[in-house]
Amino acid sequence: MKILLVDDEKKFASMLAKRLELRGIEVDYFFDANSAIQRVENGNSYDIAVLDVKMPGMGGIELRRKLCRMAPQMKFIFLTGHGSSIDYKTGVNEASFYLPKPLKINDLIETLYVVAPEVPQK
Amino acid sequence: MKKSTDLLKYESLAFFGKVNASISHELKNIMAIISETAGLLSDMADMASTENPVSPESLKSYTGSVIEEIQRGFNTIRQMNRFSHSVDTPITEVNLIEMIDLVIQLTGYLSFAGKAHVHNCGDSKPFVKTCPFLLQAVIYQALVNQFKNGGPGMETTVSVCSQDQSIWRVIFSDIEQDSAHVFPDDNTKDMAEAIGVKIICTANRLELDIPSSIETVS
Repeated sequence: MKILLVDDEKKFASMLAKRLELRGIEVDYFFDANSAIQRVENGNSYDIAVLDVKMPGMGGIELRRKLCRMAPQMKFIFLTGHGSSIDYKTGVNEASFYLPKPLKINDLIETLYVVAPEVPQK
Repeated sequence: MKKSTDLLKYESLAFFGKVNASISHELKNIMAIISETAGLLSDMADMASTENPVSPESLKSYTGSVIEEIQRGFNTIRQMNRFSHSVDTPITEVNLIEMIDLVIQLTGYLSFAGKAHVHNCGDSKPFVKTCPFLLQAVIYQALVNQFKNGGPGMETTVSVCSQDQSIWRVIFSDIEQDSAHVFPDDNTKDMAEAIGVKIICTANRLELDIPSSIETVS
């Protein structure tokens, strides 16, 4: 499984990426939306994008729309530290899966395989 | 205060809620980093063996990261505490520089925030007798407007200058008023009017005239 992780909290993104990699999941992580878009434009493909909802500049919702157009096969999970019902509804409507921060690694891994059941588990 | 309507109370409560939501978001981010770092240390411990020990450098780096985040959490809670106590006394004397500094830190939790600095143009400390909560709300909205117009990379200076003995002028630099984010909105106008603050806002100028004492406001 190959994941695109985008979160402006640099330490959070790098720690989470390391923990996923230890579990056999390949991760490319970025701290802003434009870098992630550039990566996909350069021909890299991912099974799932894990996106923070609120980021400076372009947030996760807008990023998802752009990535959807570029890579229609990609699936999405939103992460957020916001806990409002509006955020929750937006997240659910946009991506089907929404995980609040702080998250449990096992919940994320379980969600990854629910979102992309076709990807074989290691 | 000139105006104390239910609407004003609701606007104040909405502002209080907005700031608290942004602080709780910051705290969740801090907790998320601590949680992931502790999780990674736990993963490393699980995988460690005599042949494959955990390196002291990694341990030092990750525990250092946790300590930094705990410090960040303490700073955030300190600001939350200062903000919460701004409703303790309806009318009191406040130092404008200290208040603007707190507002800058509070707006810093917003995802679109740029950087801001406060500058005292004079030698004397700018004390005003006002409703600190409402004044904070007006300055906060002005700064939010700045950041929305300027984007996340913007840097701005908020200067406090004495106009005469009865007025302190707060000047926001590098104004570019975008028609999509027009300031002030009706809520901010109501709050400013309630404490006698005059908002001067044009395409390239944003200033707040704050009376030295709310008791002089008719």
